[in-house]
Amino acid sequence: MTTISILHSRRLLSVAALSAALVAAGCNFDIVNQNAPTDDQLTNNPSKLILARAATGIFSQNFTDVGGDIQIYTIYGREGYNLLGNDPRETGEAISGPQDPGGRAGGNWFAKYQAIRSVNTYLQALSSTVNLTAEEKAASLGFAQTMKAAMFLRLAVRSGTYGLPIDVDRPIDADPAPFVSQDAAFAYVSALFDSAKANLQAAGATAFPFPIAPGFGSFNTPTLFVQFNRALKARAEVFRATFLACGAPCWTSAQTALSESFLTRTGLPGSLSLGVYYGYSTAANEPQNPITEPLTSVRYFVHPSLAALVQNQAGGAPDARWSSKTRIVAVRDLNGVSSTIKPVMYNNNAGGGSVADLGADIPVIKNEELLLLSAEVNLGLSNKAAAIADIDSVRIRSGGLAPTTLTTGSADAAFVTEILYNRLMSLLWEQGVRWIDARRYGRLASLPLDRPGDTVFPSMIVPAGECDARGLDTPCTPPVSP
Amino acid sequence: MRKAIVLGAVSLIALLSIPDVSAAQAQGRTIGGVVTRAIGGRPVRGVTVTVTGSQQIAQSDDSGRYAILAPDGEVRLSFRAIGFSRKDVLVPATQTNMDVALTEDVFELEAVVVTGQATTLERKNATTATAYVSGEDVTKVTAPTIESSLTGRVAGVNLQSNSGAPGGGIQMQIRGNNTILGAYDPLYVIDGVIYSNVRIAGGRGQIDDAAFAVAEDDPVNRVADINPTDVASIEILKGAAASSIYGSKASNGVVVITTNRGQLGKPQVTLTSRLGSFSLANRIESRRFNSVAEAKARFTSATAQAAIDSIAAANGGQLPYFDLYNQVWHARSPSYELIGDVKGGSGATRYYVSGTWKKDQGIEDNTGFGRQGLRINVDQGLGSKFDVHVSSVFNRAFHARGWDNNCNNYACAGYFLAYQPSFVDLRPRADGTFRDPIPGLEQAANPIQTSTFAQNHTETNRFTGGVTVDFAALSTENANLKFVGAVGADIFQQQDNLWSPNDLFYERPQTLPGEAIQNNGVGRNLNWNLNGIFQRQFGPANTTTSAGLQFEERQLGTSRIRTQNLVPGQQNVNQGTNTTVQENFTKERTLALYLNEQALLSRDRIILAAGVRAERSSVNGDVNKYFIFPRFSGAYRFQGLIGEGSELKLRASYGETGNQPLFGQKFTLLNTPQLGGQNGFTLAGASGAPNIEPERLKEWDGGVDVSFLNGRGTFEATYYNRHTTNLLLQRVPAPSSGFATQIFNGGEIQNRGFEIVAGYAPIQRQDLSLLLRSTFTSNRSKVVDLPVPAFRPPLSGFGGLGVTFIQEGQSLTQIKAFAYDATGTPTATIIKVGDSNPDYRIGLTSDLTWKSFSFGTVWDYQHGGDIINLTSFLYIDSQLSPDYGTPAYITKVNAYNDGVMTPFIEDATFLKLREVSLGWLVPQRFTNAVGLGVRDVRLGVSARNLKTWTNYSGLDPEVANLGDAAIRNNLDVTPYPPSRSFFFTLAVGF
Repeated sequence: MTTISILHSRRLLSVAALSAALVAAGCNFDIVNQNAPTDDQLTNNPSKLILARAATGIFSQNFTDVGGDIQIYTIYGREGYNLLGNDPRETGEAISGPQDPGGRAGGNWFAKYQAIRSVNTYLQALSSTVNLTAEEKAASLGFAQTMKAAMFLRLAVRSGTYGLPIDVDRPIDADPAPFVSQDAAFAYVSALFDSAKANLQAAGATAFPFPIAPGFGSFNTPTLFVQFNRALKARAEVFRATFLACGAPCWTSAQTALSESFLTRTGLPGSLSLGVYYGYSTAANEPQNPITEPLTSVRYFVHPSLAALVQNQAGGAPDARWSSKTRIVAVRDLNGVSSTIKPVMYNNNAGGGSVADLGADIPVIKNEELLLLSAEVNLGLSNKAAAIADIDSVRIRSGGLAPTTLTTGSADAAFVTEILYNRLMSLLWEQGVRWIDARRYGRLASLPLDRPGDTVFPSMIVPAGECDARGLDTPCTPPVSP
Repeated sequence: MRKAIVLGAVSLIALLSIPDVSAAQAQGRTIGGVVTRAIGGRPVRGVTVTVTGSQQIAQSDDSGRYAILAPDGEVRLSFRAIGFSRKDVLVPATQTNMDVALTEDVFELEAVVVTGQATTLERKNATTATAYVSGEDVTKVTAPTIESSLTGRVAGVNLQSNSGAPGGGIQMQIRGNNTILGAYDPLYVIDGVIYSNVRIAGGRGQIDDAAFAVAEDDPVNRVADINPTDVASIEILKGAAASSIYGSKASNGVVVITTNRGQLGKPQVTLTSRLGSFSLANRIESRRFNSVAEAKARFTSATAQAAIDSIAAANGGQLPYFDLYNQVWHARSPSYELIGDVKGGSGATRYYVSGTWKKDQGIEDNTGFGRQGLRINVDQGLGSKFDVHVSSVFNRAFHARGWDNNCNNYACAGYFLAYQPSFVDLRPRADGTFRDPIPGLEQAANPIQTSTFAQNHTETNRFTGGVTVDFAALSTENANLKFVGAVGADIFQQQDNLWSPNDLFYERPQTLPGEAIQNNGVGRNLNWNLNGIFQRQFGPANTTTSAGLQFEERQLGTSRIRTQNLVPGQQNVNQGTNTTVQENFTKERTLALYLNEQALLSRDRIILAAGVRAERSSVNGDVNKYFIFPRFSGAYRFQGLIGEGSELKLRASYGETGNQPLFGQKFTLLNTPQLGGQNGFTLAGASGAPNIEPERLKEWDGGVDVSFLNGRGTFEATYYNRHTTNLLLQRVPAPSSGFATQIFNGGEIQNRGFEIVAGYAPIQRQDLSLLLRSTFTSNRSKVVDLPVPAFRPPLSGFGGLGVTFIQEGQSLTQIKAFAYDATGTPTATIIKVGDSNPDYRIGLTSDLTWKSFSFGTVWDYQHGGDIINLTSFLYIDSQLSPDYGTPAYITKVNAYNDGVMTPFIEDATFLKLREVSLGWLVPQRFTNAVGLGVRDVRLGVSARNLKTWTNYSGLDPEVANLGDAAIRNNLDVTPYPPSRSFFFTLAVGF
């Protein structure tokens, strides 16, 4: 056996020790998680491709709660019912209360904030990237701010006078964001839409550096996207004017926004449907229409009280909107509430049949709504003749009805009634406008109650999780900062 | 923090540059002699003989002879061998012959225990409580996996099996639950290699529609791959001061396994064969129907009633009774194990080679467990300064664990039987076909059909090996400097192939009948370390300083292909229409620097030890931060205080150790929803913790170790108090943050308890000896601080059916469920109804030797602890409980109807006769007559889990349906029943 020289071996060991130490020191400890993408891939100078994926994510989260909002708002506003009977809360808590902050009444909240968190992360990503031109950054910023403002607008509608947290872009370990009043929320939303507009305009003629989601149709460049931004801004200002009686400034602001939106009076009735949609699809893994169902399903029903409101066309046929959007079926009676009217606006109604269509789009905002917002604005600014023209453009071209009997001498309340009727028919089961509008014009008391003890709620309530995080007992009304 | 590494490296190099002062060897002489047993005078082989202050080392051969080169003048020779007390003798100048007799170290007080990466200490000098099990004890009665042989033998360790299915599936818990959501397994280290004990679910839960598709898979923990016959010793580092040498993976304790190694001498071959079988140890009876009318009252559908009539008509008007458990778990096929090993050595080479072939047949058809292994351990000296130790083992394990535990489509046998009337025969017809289930009377399944045709196979191939190089840089009478470097790898691949053919009764009604799963797990652990050890003797003091560097990398990839709607008769995963795939990959790296000091002062009366370990890891939020884990311990030995040859040692220790964050906890993930044909990025609901840190366990323990009657009696008592802080917890932030959950560090839990180990050898004579050993363990846990609302941890049970509930001020193991209040009305909320933690546990081992016969037993007693008996709950639900109509039954039915669980929470007290063994060493005169070079022949018969005494109404009070959880829950949901085993052993040595 050879003897290894001690001197030699010691040198060998020294080298081994040193190289081991160096290997260990130089070894990479930043091991990535390859099972899923991580947020730092997004916020650390992301590539154009990664930013595009994040934009797709924002579009995707815009679908958040669309079905959920329609389901609860239609029940709250007696626009419809869920009579499936698998969940007692559908004909219980949702109609007669008490509102459960840990359940449905405290719902339709988290996923919207999750979408906002994604937008905020995207905004961070935009500020850290060097891979976009200034114009592309402006375009992306304008897009993201518009989507964020739209989500806050939906939250402001949901929560009413409870207000909501706005300043949520903070570290997770920080105190929860304070609630602000509904007014402050509207002011914030309005300003954010304006900031978005400015950024979209700064983008000039550049194209969006990401693919535009289905449903956005022709609003696919920053310049055209501004029209969508303005349409939502107009809705926000009209809501602000009516929820909070902010008066002329809001109406004027809404009027300006409408003039810059895609509102058009030409090409009716075809142009009534011009607008931006939630683009559902039957393709695998794509979002699907959450409301559509076979006619045989006993889940969704239109509230029977609507039938009595329906105006008739000159020939005696009912409002064309009503006959195209509903079908009469066998009566469904559950726990003292019943209906025979099925909503079929998202079904394939070709050839007299009516089958579910999971690819049916739901409008985000469309020209038909803009015309009626214009009617509200004109009424608000006391341009009653213009209001009548707006009303008629929808009554005649969408409902097949005769011109309205309103005159410039009619009372404001009569105008409101007529506008809300048209909004209900034109936007049936699209947003839950019967509830929203009744709240805006203080008409909750006029909504029908089916059973003794039933009630109409003025808003959804603060989720239990928000109370818990603030150390408040549920249900809670967190103090609002002005 | 890179500075620390540089410092570590510099100090190592500094140690390395100490000048070479090895003394020139004097002329010398050769001292030789024979080493024998003090009792009986039989020669002892493999005794290591050393000359104090010299590098010389020798080993005794088969006849106990040794020869060693020693310097002139008076020298001190030291004799040591496993199982014997060390003996030091002075050999006067010029004497060349020295025979010695060694006394047996019956309580293994002189076994060495691990005190650092490369340092050890004799157990009698240990400053912390030790738990040491010899290989002989491990293999006395054959066990499927290594943990089973620890029950009753060590204090402070709790073992629990998920079910009685063949081949493992066991959780080991050391000194209580020390985490809530973190990793809960002890760290396993085999011959210096970090050994993976992961559980990889094969996918059965997906096929049989279990509530928890992964946890209820009853996966095997991969320690099942270890071949118990290779084990030389198992040491369990329980306290933080002991386990802290393994840093932030050690808060659940460390199991250090050493395998057999060669001895100098001519090759010794041992061939062992075992033959035996497993049989059903306990079964659940089903309700007996005394009349047709009674059966018809229970089964009311027209088809059921017609079937009842025809069954009765064929049986003379009476309903038969079938023992359903015996129909399903009837198999008694032979199980066997063949082991061959050879050990020997000459010159500077020693080797140990072993091969095993094991097959355990399950008590259900087509279930079982098999393991093959080949181990080669080689020790080679290179010159006078280097020693190289190589360990390597290749194992293949095969599991077929059947279809049991909870499931929701009646695919699993026990669950099905809970709903099966006892008068319907499940067995196949004479031609091997099965009759269709009778609607209204039976569920759509037949467990015998399932076990005949369905397949749930797992095969694992594994290589574990390492190389350790010792370099004696300096060796003088008063100083020793040694460097030890080691590299190890543990690599395995597990593949599960599951097949649930279309034609099975439970598959037929499904939308997509026929299902196959191919599941893969690939694990790779690599570690290396480099240590410098400097030992000095000055006067009565002996100090050891060691410093080193350790690097560890662990990775695990799992993937699964599942397909449904198979082509009939086909089992490949490309033969279905609906196929889904999953993949997951984790990788972690840890680097540690450490410095340890131990000192034996005042002629080994005072022992002090201290150490500090600094560790960084890729799983921590800050990968550059070093976390420091210190430890201190001390002991004082009083000699002769309580009689001649007695010793009393007081010891105390403090240590800190950690539990690393789980892989991925620091990351906030992005979801990838699809829109317009492409995947977008959105934030997932769970917020990662970019600053996540290891959990930190801080522990004080203290105790007394007594040895008396010249080592014939021993008593060790330990009290420990451990607090885990900085727990990995999950909180719910304000929903407006956009996150649903958040991982964070916080809170505190406490475990404290007593451990007692006592041993007594009342008789120690040449032809008769008796050895009694016992252990006592008692642990209490408490949630000291919980910064989140009380919650149910994941996998804690089934909602209102009894769950573990983490609540400040309560024990971690409390069970909550609906109960009756003082007025007899059901409570509105769940309240505490029990605790799964036993009050205490006692183990008792006896070994009797008379002439050439040996007889051993292991008893295991658990007092208290509660079980959630959902098996009984199912039998109430089906109205087929064997106690139907009795007052006890009525109580349960009423509770069942009120949603109250109290009658289903049962006491887990039991006494088990774990092991019985009888051995006979065939007298030499018969052996010699055989010739063929036969050295010795041993015959034996042994039994495991022979008998259980318990009031528990279920199958086995040791059960954990949801075993793969940090806080184990004694949840009984129709498990694979327990079995007892008998084996005959023939071992021939050449």
